[in-house]
Order: sequence, then C-alpha cells, then structure tokens
Amino acid sequence: MKTIAIEILLAAAVLITLLSVVGMMRMHDVYQRMHYIAPPASLSAILITIAIFLQQGLKPESFKALFTALVLIGMNTVVTHAAARAFRIAEVEEWKPKDGDEVPIEPSDEVIHK
Amino acid sequence: MNIWELASDVTIFTLLPLAWMAMRGDARNRLAAFYMAGVVITLLLMILTMAFHRMPMMDLAITLALMSFGGGIVFARFFARHLQ
Repeated sequence: MKTIAIEILLAAAVLITLLSVVGMMRMHDVYQRMHYIAPPASLSAILITIAIFLQQGLKPESFKALFTALVLIGMNTVVTHAAARAFRIAEVEEWKPKDGDEVPIEPSDEVIHK
Repeated sequence: MNIWELASDVTIFTLLPLAWMAMRGDARNRLAAFYMAGVVITLLLMILTMAFHRMPMMDLAITLALMSFGGGIVFARFFARHLQ
C-alpha cells in the first residue's frame, strides 16, 4: 500500500513537471511562461517530499527534503515577481502603471467590460 | 529499476526542451527557461538521492535551491539595470 502511494505521488509530481515544461514551450509571452514555474516549484516539490517521508520515515533526509520544498516555494514567488518586475522595467523603465494606463484592477473597471 | 530511477529518467528528459528554450529567443525568455531549469534540477536531485540511496546528496538539492534563489535575484537586478 505504501509503495503504491509513493508511486502515485512520484508519477503525479513528474507529470506536473512534464506538463509545465510543455506548457512553458507552448506560450509565446514571457509573462505567461513564468506562470508555469509555479506548479513544479510548489506541487511537485510537496508531492516528492511526501513520497520521501513515506519511504524514509522521520529521518534527517526527509526533513532536508521538506526544507528544500519550502525554499523552492518561497524562492519561486520572490524570484518570479522580481523577474517580472525587471522585465517590466526593461520594457517601460517604470513598473508601476502611469496615469491613464488601462490596467484592470477591479471587476467593475470599464476596461474589463469593453 | 525502481520507481525513483524511472521518475528521475523522465525528469531528466524535461531538461531538453528547457535547454532548447534557454538557447533561443530573447533574453527574457531564456531567463525564464533558466529559472524553470533550476527548479527542475532541484527536484531531480531530490529524486536521484532516493534512487541511489545516497542520503547526504540531499544537501546538494538544498544548496541548489538556495543558490538558485540568490542567482535569480541577481539576474533580475542585472536585467533591470543593464539590459534595458
């Protein structure tokens, strides 16, 4: 039973990674591509960590895997934001929207309903 | 071949399209592929540790995750300042 659970967890983790890479290839815009870094960095890392805990139990390497997964989750959010901000600065020299820019923020904004 | 080795084999092949993406396109797309490769290789090191039963190798995954974080921030800052 434990072996089957480990196999399912690993298969799901690898499938998520594979599909994310394929999705990243299919996208044309870099901002869309960066969204595909999140699934392997969060879901796959957690699934692999659970599989390691099931295989090894409460051993040091299991907690190292947990720490790695937490670092990946935290890293992904920070680095993705920093990179997207850098790309925006490289494009327009100012990452915040200027007055008059059409940036939909609220669902009631007119930009969405156009 | 156990399930960990099989998982590592499949994960290694995901690096091929990432290498392809990292070699073509503009700098932004290559940087995005580089970030993704860092995450995938970190996961791969975790799986390989279990596949080969070399538990101290888990430190490599931790190290790569931490260094990818620092490297990613540095690349982003460099991109914003010098590659406009």
